Amino acid sequence: MNEELDSQLSAMFDNELPAAECELLARRLSRDEQLKARWGRYAVIGATIRAERGVRLNAVLASRVSAAISSEPALTAESAFQPKKRWENRWWQPVVSAAAVVGVAAVSVLWMRSQGVRPESTPVVAQTTAPATSSVTAMDSSSMTPVTTGEVDSYVVPKTPARRRPVVPSTELANYVVAHSEFSSPVARRNLLSAFMVSESGTAGTSAGSEEPIESVQDDAKNTQ
Amino acid sequence: MSADVSDLSLVRRVQRGDKGAFDALVLKYQHKLVKLVMRYVRNPAEAEDIAQEAFIKAYRALPQFRGDSAFYTWLYRIAINTAKNAVVSRDRSPVEYDLDRNNTDESYDMQGRMKDSETPEGLVLTDEIRSTVNAAIDALPEDLRTAIVLRELEGLSYEEIAATMDCPVGTVRSRIFRAREAIDRRLREVFEGGLGRVEELG
Repeated sequence: MNEELDSQLSAMFDNELPAAECELLARRLSRDEQLKARWGRYAVIGATIRAERGVRLNAVLASRVSAAISSEPALTAESAFQPKKRWENRWWQPVVSAAAVVGVAAVSVLWMRSQGVRPESTPVVAQTTAPATSSVTAMDSSSMTPVTTGEVDSYVVPKTPARRRPVVPSTELANYVVAHSEFSSPVARRNLLSAFMVSESGTAGTSAGSEEPIESVQDDAKNTQ
Repeated sequence: MSADVSDLSLVRRVQRGDKGAFDALVLKYQHKLVKLVMRYVRNPAEAEDIAQEAFIKAYRALPQFRGDSAFYTWLYRIAINTAKNAVVSRDRSPVEYDLDRNNTDESYDMQGRMKDSETPEGLVLTDEIRSTVNAAIDALPEDLRTAIVLRELEGLSYEEIAATMDCPVGTVRSRIFRAREAIDRRLREVFEGGLGRVEELG
């Protein structure tokens, strides 16, 4: 064994050998058993100088590990970590995104054609829904009536909700209260009847023909008091 | 000089399927790793088992090693975790009958040594190796001894040793190499005879 090689081995052991020389020596070290034995003895010298007590200095552990590793599958270049450059990772991403968008659009058009839907008719949905929301802002806040601007021709004024008739007519309720007046206090009776009268007068304009005259109720109430 | 360049070149070889390069890494770090594990378990045989497990784990995980840290730092972490797990699992197993913890360190160390599967001849061999190396170091010229001790004991780089000894880096490299060669000449005789004996003992 030549002295230069041994000197390199010693420097490599200390991580003091230039990288290019390390590559060559590492290859040789992994194959040359004599060189490996010398390398192992360098480790023993270091362990002895550091006085690593309790540590066995013969190479029993190394041979056990070597035997265990020999049954393991050898690592491959593919399995080793290899840092990838950014462009290798990312160049295809915008292409894939664009392809996905085009694909979705094509499928949508084909589907609409197969359904017999004209592409032009789709904005109608937006027209009927969008003004409904904008009509709220276009209302006059005092009268709550839509302000016609003439801009939206297709706007459909929503129907005013019909005033619902009371489930039980006020007159009937008043009669019921009067008929059972013996069970209620005079003050409560009066309040209730006043409330009925007010509510009847509020609805008189819309359904005057169908309701009984309020005066008769009042008279009945006076009679019961 | 990169602190990890030679380890990294060996690691890259292992990653490409060269198991022999992993043997070199094991040979280099086996003692350090056993010493490290012995902070957690005091029985040398158990420490060796844990160190062996750590090396095997490291081998299996080596494809994921990117070289961001030094190889030994990475190996160190694996060994620490393996040792901690071993201690936890050992503490959970109720059968093991422990030795008397009141004994002094030295006697406990002896009991631990005798508990392991190593033969008395193996212990003698270790002691013989140790005394041979120490004798060889004592016999070294002063400059060689200082260089090797600063490197191995203090962990100084060649540049730091050169500054300390006031000499060129090349001289430091040469001194350390010559010191190792002188020690190795005597050690080789012990090792070859000793290893033969161990093999015979089977």
